[in-house]
Amino acid sequence: MKLALALGLALAAVDARAYTPAVEYALNCQGCHRADGAGTPESVPPLKGSVARFLGVPGGREYLAQVPGVAQAPLDDQALAAVMNWLLDHFDKEHIPAGFAPYTAEEMGRLRRTPLVDVESVRTRLLAEIERPR
Amino acid sequence: MTTTRGWLDRMIERGTRAVARRTSRRSFLTRIGTGLVGVAALPLLPVARAADEAARVPVPDDTKVTGDVGDPASCHYWRHCAIDGFLCACCGGSQTACPPGTEMSPVTWIGTCRSPGDGKDYIISYNDCCGASLCMRCRCTRTEGERPVYYTSKNNDLLWCFGTKSRAVHCSVAIVLGQATQA
Repeated sequence: MKLALALGLALAAVDARAYTPAVEYALNCQGCHRADGAGTPESVPPLKGSVARFLGVPGGREYLAQVPGVAQAPLDDQALAAVMNWLLDHFDKEHIPAGFAPYTAEEMGRLRRTPLVDVESVRTRLLAEIERPR
Repeated sequence: MTTTRGWLDRMIERGTRAVARRTSRRSFLTRIGTGLVGVAALPLLPVARAADEAARVPVPDDTKVTGDVGDPASCHYWRHCAIDGFLCACCGGSQTACPPGTEMSPVTWIGTCRSPGDGKDYIISYNDCCGASLCMRCRCTRTEGERPVYYTSKNNDLLWCFGTKSRAVHCSVAIVLGQATQA
């Protein structure tokens, strides 16, 4: 029994692998968003040179955590926050607003538990705000 | 001496006649000609190569891996631990290249498999080759690390011909994207 328990714990420890954010991106995001973050025209939006623009408009920071691909990724809050911070820096550093505070696990957890009911309309509204001349 | 020559002559004569009975000069020329044209045309075939980024990563050494786990045409090949489809290695392509006339989908499903060569986990991209009807050879369905279909990006029951001219799936390849390094 003790042995079985120890074995179970050991297996659990093996299973709870923590990969680097770059590897988690490859495993959970890259299949659609591509290795270079370019996306696929008409199917998958690009991250490269684009994703951090959402941080510059009201509601954008929340949207990035709530969009289904992020909110429903099979990652815990800590790993999800790490991947998000990594990809913002890796794919769209130039659009990160001054004074940006990286996502925390707590914030990511809170936001991802409030799903977007109508993703498309939120996205359209945010993109219009991003494109609005100021 | 005479006896030796007679024996050698007879043997060579028998061999030559046997070859002459089985083949013709024309068939020999045809084969040589086909070979010459084929070799010259090979680089022109529209073979979709593995993605550029895949070409740069160090691929684990499979040469010492024997048996089915080292055979790209086998369902038991180690890179196929989460594949669902027809193996391109059986369909005129390889484990990393689509067969001529098909196009590799840039959108893929991705998982990890442990290499029996070095015991390390590698990130594997399963790209569908699209543009021809189902290959129907070497059907292989393995589900290591696969998630239910509501995790669309982690499920291999879906057809993955996105971003390609045709949505018709032919076969699947398994490309090593890199080592799954732990944090």
